[in-house]
Amino acid sequence: MDARTIIQSLTGAFSEAISEAEVESPVRIRAYVDGSFAKEVCQYLKDSLQFDHLCSVCGVDYPKRNELEVVYHIASYDHPVVLTLKARLPRDSPEIESIVPVYWNANWYERETYELYGIMFKNHPNLKPLVLPEEMLGEWPLRKDYEGFPNRTARNLV
Amino acid sequence: MGEVKAKKTNESKANQEEEIPGVITTTTSAIHNFLKKTKAQDLINWGRKNSLWFMTQPMGCCGVEMIATGCAHYDTDRFGIIPRNSPRHADVMIISGYVTKKYLPALKRLWEQMPAPKWVICMGDCSISGGPFYESYSTVQNIDELFPIDVFIPGCPPRPEALIQGFVELQNKIIAKKDRGTEY
Repeated sequence: MDARTIIQSLTGAFSEAISEAEVESPVRIRAYVDGSFAKEVCQYLKDSLQFDHLCSVCGVDYPKRNELEVVYHIASYDHPVVLTLKARLPRDSPEIESIVPVYWNANWYERETYELYGIMFKNHPNLKPLVLPEEMLGEWPLRKDYEGFPNRTARNLV
Repeated sequence: MGEVKAKKTNESKANQEEEIPGVITTTTSAIHNFLKKTKAQDLINWGRKNSLWFMTQPMGCCGVEMIATGCAHYDTDRFGIIPRNSPRHADVMIISGYVTKKYLPALKRLWEQMPAPKWVICMGDCSISGGPFYESYSTVQNIDELFPIDVFIPGCPPRPEALIQGFVELQNKIIAKKDRGTEY
Protein backbone atom coordinates (compact mmCIF):
# COMPACT_ATOMS: atom_id res chain seq x y z
CA MET A 1 0.00 0.00 0.00
CA ASP A 2 1.62 3.27 -1.09
CA ALA A 3 0.98 6.87 -0.10
CA ARG A 4 -1.26 7.78 -3.03
CA THR A 5 -3.69 4.90 -2.60
CA ILE A 6 -3.96 5.69 1.12
CA ILE A 7 -4.88 9.31 0.34
CA GLN A 8 -7.42 8.20 -2.26
CA SER A 9 -8.99 5.68 0.07
CA LEU A 10 -9.18 8.24 2.90
CA THR A 11 -10.69 11.04 0.82
CA GLY A 12 -13.05 8.56 -0.83
CA ALA A 13 -14.40 7.35 2.51
CA PHE A 14 -14.61 10.78 4.20
CA SER A 15 -15.04 13.30 1.40
CA GLU A 16 -16.52 15.94 3.75
CA ALA A 17 -14.31 15.44 6.81
CA ILE A 18 -10.89 15.24 5.11
CA SER A 19 -9.42 18.32 3.47
CA GLU A 20 -6.05 19.43 2.11
CA ALA A 21 -4.85 15.85 1.82
CA GLU A 22 -1.41 15.81 0.23
CA VAL A 23 1.47 13.47 -0.45
CA GLU A 24 4.72 14.98 0.81
CA SER A 25 6.98 12.05 -0.03
CA PRO A 26 6.55 8.29 -0.52
CA VAL A 27 6.60 7.86 3.25
CA ARG A 28 4.89 11.01 4.52
CA ILE A 29 1.32 12.14 3.91
CA ARG A 30 -0.74 14.80 5.65
CA ALA A 31 -4.38 15.76 5.92
CA TYR A 32 -6.71 18.02 7.85
CA VAL A 33 -9.68 16.43 9.51
CA ASP A 34 -12.91 17.95 10.77
CA GLY A 35 -12.75 17.84 14.58
CA SER A 36 -16.10 16.09 14.97
CA PHE A 37 -15.00 13.18 12.72
CA ALA A 38 -11.57 12.56 14.30
CA LYS A 39 -12.59 9.35 16.04
CA GLU A 40 -14.35 7.86 13.01
CA VAL A 41 -11.40 8.69 10.76
CA CYS A 42 -8.99 7.06 13.21
CA GLN A 43 -11.19 3.98 13.40
CA TYR A 44 -11.19 3.75 9.61
CA LEU A 45 -7.40 4.23 9.48
CA LYS A 46 -6.88 1.45 11.99
CA ASP A 47 -9.37 -1.02 10.56
CA SER A 48 -8.95 -0.53 6.81
CA LEU A 49 -5.57 1.10 6.18
CA GLN A 50 -3.37 -0.78 8.71
CA PHE A 51 -2.41 2.37 10.67
CA ASP A 52 -1.89 0.52 13.95
CA HIS A 53 0.57 2.79 15.71
CA LEU A 54 -0.26 6.21 17.13
CA CYS A 55 3.15 7.90 17.51
CA SER A 56 2.09 11.13 19.19
CA VAL A 57 -0.67 13.60 19.93
CA CYS A 58 0.35 17.22 20.34
CA GLY A 59 -1.00 20.72 19.98
CA VAL A 60 -0.05 23.90 18.15
CA ASP A 61 -1.23 27.40 19.01
CA TYR A 62 -1.95 29.96 16.27
CA PRO A 63 -3.08 33.14 18.05
CA LYS A 64 -3.25 35.25 14.85
CA ARG A 65 -5.69 32.82 13.25
CA ASN A 66 -7.42 32.38 16.64
CA GLU A 67 -7.02 28.63 16.27
CA LEU A 68 -5.53 25.66 18.06
CA GLU A 69 -4.47 22.60 16.13
CA VAL A 70 -4.30 19.03 17.39
CA VAL A 71 -1.70 17.00 15.50
CA TYR A 72 -1.80 13.21 15.37
CA HIS A 73 1.11 11.26 13.94
CA ILE A 74 -0.07 7.82 12.95
CA ALA A 75 2.16 5.12 11.50
CA SER A 76 1.91 1.49 10.55
CA TYR A 77 3.75 -1.74 11.19
CA ASP A 78 2.88 -3.04 7.69
CA HIS A 79 3.78 -0.16 5.38
CA PRO A 80 6.27 2.72 5.74
CA VAL A 81 3.82 5.63 5.38
CA VAL A 82 3.41 8.05 8.31
CA LEU A 83 0.26 10.15 8.36
CA THR A 84 0.17 13.61 9.93
CA LEU A 85 -3.45 14.22 10.79
CA LYS A 86 -4.40 17.70 12.00
CA ALA A 87 -7.62 19.14 13.34
CA ARG A 88 -8.37 22.86 13.60
CA LEU A 89 -10.20 23.97 16.74
CA PRO A 90 -11.50 27.39 17.81
CA ARG A 91 -9.23 28.98 20.40
CA ASP A 92 -11.96 30.05 22.85
CA SER A 93 -13.59 26.60 23.16
CA PRO A 94 -11.21 23.87 21.91
CA GLU A 95 -13.04 20.56 22.11
CA ILE A 96 -12.44 17.34 20.20
CA GLU A 97 -13.57 13.76 20.54
CA SER A 98 -11.05 11.56 22.36
CA ILE A 99 -9.48 8.76 20.30
CA VAL A 100 -8.68 6.58 23.30
CA PRO A 101 -11.33 3.98 22.27
CA VAL A 102 -9.37 3.50 19.02
CA TYR A 103 -5.75 3.94 20.13
CA TRP A 104 -5.46 3.21 23.85
CA ASN A 105 -2.02 4.81 24.12
CA ALA A 106 -3.56 8.20 23.32
CA ASN A 107 -4.62 8.35 26.96
CA TRP A 108 -1.50 10.03 28.35
CA TYR A 109 -0.81 12.00 25.13
CA GLU A 110 -4.23 13.60 25.39
CA ARG A 111 -3.81 14.33 29.08
CA GLU A 112 -0.56 16.14 28.38
CA THR A 113 -2.03 18.06 25.45
CA TYR A 114 -4.89 19.02 27.74
CA GLU A 115 -2.70 20.36 30.55
CA LEU A 116 -0.35 22.26 28.22
CA TYR A 117 -2.85 23.71 25.70
CA GLY A 118 -6.23 23.45 27.36
CA ILE A 119 -7.73 21.30 24.61
CA MET A 120 -10.69 19.37 26.03
CA PHE A 121 -10.89 15.76 24.89
CA LYS A 122 -14.51 14.71 25.15
CA ASN A 123 -15.27 11.25 26.58
CA HIS A 124 -11.69 10.78 27.73
CA PRO A 125 -11.64 8.13 30.51
CA ASN A 126 -9.41 10.10 32.91
CA LEU A 127 -8.82 13.69 31.82
CA LYS A 128 -6.59 15.17 34.53
CA PRO A 129 -3.09 16.71 34.47
CA LEU A 130 -0.26 14.27 33.78
CA VAL A 131 3.04 15.97 34.70
CA LEU A 132 2.00 19.43 35.85
CA PRO A 133 0.62 19.99 39.36
CA GLU A 134 -3.12 20.44 39.74
CA GLU A 135 -2.69 24.11 40.72
CA MET A 136 -1.28 24.96 37.30
CA LEU A 137 -4.42 23.77 35.53
CA GLY A 138 -5.90 26.69 33.62
CA GLU A 139 -2.59 28.42 32.91
CA TRP A 140 -1.99 26.46 29.66
CA PRO A 141 1.77 27.07 29.62
CA LEU A 142 2.49 26.21 26.00
CA ARG A 143 0.01 28.69 24.57
CA LYS A 144 1.71 31.69 22.97
CA ASP A 145 0.00 34.23 25.24
CA TYR A 146 1.14 32.49 28.46
CA GLU A 147 2.56 35.17 30.77
CA GLY A 148 4.51 32.96 33.21
CA PHE A 149 7.34 32.50 30.72
CA PRO A 150 10.14 33.52 30.95
CA ASN A 151 10.30 33.08 34.70
CA ARG A 152 12.78 35.65 36.07
CA THR A 153 12.86 34.62 39.74
CA ALA A 154 16.16 32.67 39.66
CA ARG A 155 18.80 34.53 41.68
CA ASN A 156 22.12 32.72 41.87
CA LEU A 157 22.68 31.98 38.21
CA VAL A 158 25.91 30.08 37.73
CA MET B 1 -12.93 23.93 73.66
CA GLY B 2 -10.74 21.37 71.94
CA GLU B 3 -7.59 23.43 72.51
CA VAL B 4 -8.25 23.81 76.21
CA LYS B 5 -8.74 20.09 76.61
CA ALA B 6 -5.54 19.35 74.76
CA LYS B 7 -3.58 21.67 77.04
CA LYS B 8 -4.97 20.00 80.13
CA THR B 9 -3.94 16.55 78.99
CA ASN B 10 -0.41 17.81 78.25
CA GLU B 11 -0.13 19.23 81.75
CA SER B 12 -1.33 16.04 83.37
CA LYS B 13 1.26 14.05 81.37
CA ALA B 14 4.02 16.42 82.47
CA ASN B 15 2.89 16.03 86.09
CA GLN B 16 2.97 12.27 85.81
CA GLU B 17 6.55 12.40 84.57
CA GLU B 18 7.59 14.55 87.50
CA GLU B 19 5.91 12.26 89.98
CA ILE B 20 8.20 9.27 89.38
CA PRO B 21 10.07 8.88 92.67
CA GLY B 22 13.85 9.03 92.60
CA VAL B 23 14.05 9.93 88.91
CA ILE B 24 14.98 13.35 87.52
CA THR B 25 13.18 13.73 84.22
CA THR B 26 14.11 16.03 81.41
CA THR B 27 13.51 16.34 77.72
CA THR B 28 15.96 15.13 75.11
CA SER B 29 16.53 18.61 73.71
CA ALA B 30 17.72 19.78 77.15
CA ILE B 31 20.53 17.21 77.14
CA HIS B 32 21.20 18.08 73.52
CA ASN B 33 21.45 21.81 74.25
CA PHE B 34 23.65 21.20 77.27
CA LEU B 35 26.06 19.02 75.30
CA LYS B 36 26.42 21.68 72.61
CA LYS B 37 28.20 23.93 75.10
CA THR B 38 30.69 21.25 76.19
CA LYS B 39 33.70 19.52 74.66
CA ALA B 40 31.53 16.42 74.20
CA GLN B 41 30.06 18.04 71.10
CA ASP B 42 33.44 17.78 69.38
CA LEU B 43 33.37 14.04 69.89
CA ILE B 44 29.78 13.83 68.69
CA ASN B 45 30.63 15.88 65.62
CA TRP B 46 33.63 13.64 64.93
CA GLY B 47 31.24 10.70 64.91
CA ARG B 48 28.70 12.49 62.76
CA LYS B 49 31.17 13.63 60.15
CA ASN B 50 32.45 10.10 59.72
CA SER B 51 29.04 8.59 59.07
CA LEU B 52 27.45 10.81 56.45
CA TRP B 53 24.98 8.37 54.95
CA PHE B 54 23.24 9.91 51.98
CA MET B 55 19.85 9.16 50.56
CA THR B 56 19.80 7.54 47.12
CA GLN B 57 17.27 9.83 45.61
CA PRO B 58 18.34 10.66 42.04
CA MET B 59 16.33 13.44 40.44
CA GLY B 60 18.04 14.06 37.11
CA CYS B 61 21.20 13.30 35.21
CA CYS B 62 23.30 14.29 38.27
CA GLY B 63 21.67 11.30 39.92
CA VAL B 64 23.71 9.02 37.67
CA GLU B 65 26.91 10.60 38.98
CA MET B 66 25.55 10.30 42.50
CA ILE B 67 24.93 6.57 42.07
CA ALA B 68 28.37 6.19 40.49
CA THR B 69 29.84 7.85 43.58
CA GLY B 70 28.13 5.30 45.76
CA CYS B 71 29.50 2.37 43.75
CA ALA B 72 32.66 0.41 44.48
CA HIS B 73 35.05 2.31 42.23
CA TYR B 74 35.24 5.45 44.38
CA ASP B 75 35.06 3.54 47.67
CA THR B 76 33.38 6.32 49.64
CA ASP B 77 33.21 4.02 52.67
CA ARG B 78 36.64 5.31 53.64
CA PHE B 79 34.92 8.64 54.45
CA GLY B 80 31.95 6.92 56.03
CA ILE B 81 29.75 7.92 53.09
CA ILE B 82 27.29 5.15 52.34
CA PRO B 83 24.23 5.30 50.10
CA ARG B 84 20.98 4.40 51.85
CA ASN B 85 17.66 3.65 50.24
CA SER B 86 15.43 4.95 52.99
CA PRO B 87 15.17 8.56 54.18
CA ARG B 88 14.89 7.23 57.74
CA HIS B 89 18.43 5.82 57.55
CA ALA B 90 19.97 8.86 55.92
CA ASP B 91 21.83 11.91 57.22
CA VAL B 92 22.40 13.78 53.97
CA MET B 93 19.92 14.63 51.27
CA ILE B 94 21.47 15.43 47.90
CA ILE B 95 19.25 17.59 45.70
CA SER B 96 20.58 16.24 42.45
CA GLY B 97 18.56 17.91 39.76
CA TYR B 98 15.85 20.38 38.86
CA VAL B 99 12.94 20.47 41.31
CA THR B 100 9.65 20.66 39.47
CA LYS B 101 6.59 22.17 41.05
CA LYS B 102 5.01 18.74 41.12
CA TYR B 103 8.02 17.11 42.80
CA LEU B 104 8.57 19.74 45.51
CA PRO B 105 5.91 18.36 47.93
CA ALA B 106 7.46 14.89 47.70
CA LEU B 107 10.95 16.30 48.29
CA LYS B 108 9.75 18.21 51.35
CA ARG B 109 8.14 15.05 52.66
CA LEU B 110 11.38 13.08 52.23
CA TRP B 111 13.22 15.85 54.08
CA GLU B 112 10.74 15.70 56.93
CA GLN B 113 11.06 11.90 57.12
CA MET B 114 14.81 12.13 57.73
CA PRO B 115 15.76 12.11 61.41
CA ALA B 116 17.96 14.93 62.70
CA PRO B 117 20.85 15.68 62.49
CA LYS B 118 20.52 16.09 58.73
CA TRP B 119 22.19 18.11 56.01
CA VAL B 120 21.45 19.07 52.42
CA ILE B 121 23.87 19.19 49.52
CA CYS B 122 22.92 20.99 46.31
CA MET B 123 24.43 19.08 43.41
CA GLY B 124 24.60 20.49 39.90
CA ASP B 125 23.58 23.72 38.23
CA CYS B 126 19.91 22.71 38.05
CA SER B 127 19.42 22.65 41.79
CA ILE B 128 21.55 25.76 42.39
CA SER B 129 19.86 28.07 39.92
CA GLY B 130 17.66 26.06 37.57
CA GLY B 131 20.46 25.31 35.11
CA PRO B 132 19.16 25.15 31.55
CA PHE B 133 15.62 25.38 32.96
CA TYR B 134 16.13 28.68 34.81
CA GLU B 135 13.29 30.40 32.94
CA SER B 136 10.92 27.45 32.92
CA TYR B 137 7.30 27.61 33.98
CA SER B 138 7.36 24.32 35.87
CA THR B 139 10.58 24.36 37.93
CA VAL B 140 10.99 25.78 41.43
CA GLN B 141 13.71 28.43 41.61
CA ASN B 142 15.90 29.41 44.62
CA ILE B 143 15.97 26.08 46.43
CA ASP B 144 18.25 27.62 49.09
CA GLU B 145 15.22 29.49 50.46
CA LEU B 146 13.41 26.21 51.08
CA PHE B 147 16.14 23.96 52.50
CA PRO B 148 19.15 24.78 54.75
CA ILE B 149 21.81 23.99 52.18
CA ASP B 150 25.39 23.57 53.37
CA VAL B 151 27.33 22.81 50.21
CA PHE B 152 26.74 23.81 46.60
CA ILE B 153 28.51 21.69 44.00
CA PRO B 154 28.42 23.39 40.57
CA GLY B 155 28.84 21.41 37.39
CA CYS B 156 26.65 19.96 34.70
CA PRO B 157 26.86 17.29 35.98
CA PRO B 158 29.70 17.40 38.55
CA ARG B 159 32.13 14.51 38.51
CA PRO B 160 31.97 11.99 41.36
CA GLU B 161 35.25 13.47 42.60
CA ALA B 162 33.52 16.83 42.93
CA LEU B 163 30.74 15.24 44.94
CA ILE B 164 33.29 13.58 47.24
CA GLN B 165 34.98 16.96 47.66
CA GLY B 166 31.59 18.41 48.55
CA PHE B 167 31.23 15.78 51.25
CA VAL B 168 34.70 16.65 52.57
CA GLU B 169 33.70 20.33 52.71
CA LEU B 170 30.61 19.32 54.65
CA GLN B 171 32.78 17.32 57.06
CA ASN B 172 34.98 20.39 57.58
CA LYS B 173 31.90 22.49 58.28
CA ILE B 174 30.61 19.98 60.81
CA ILE B 175 33.97 19.87 62.61
CA ALA B 176 34.10 23.70 62.61
CA LYS B 177 30.50 23.78 63.99
CA LYS B 178 29.43 26.00 61.11
CA ASP B 179 26.99 23.65 59.40
CA ARG B 180 23.39 24.65 58.96
CA GLY B 181 22.07 21.21 59.92
CA THR B 182 22.65 21.86 63.63
CA GLU B 183 21.79 25.01 65.56
CA TYR B 184 24.64 26.19 67.75
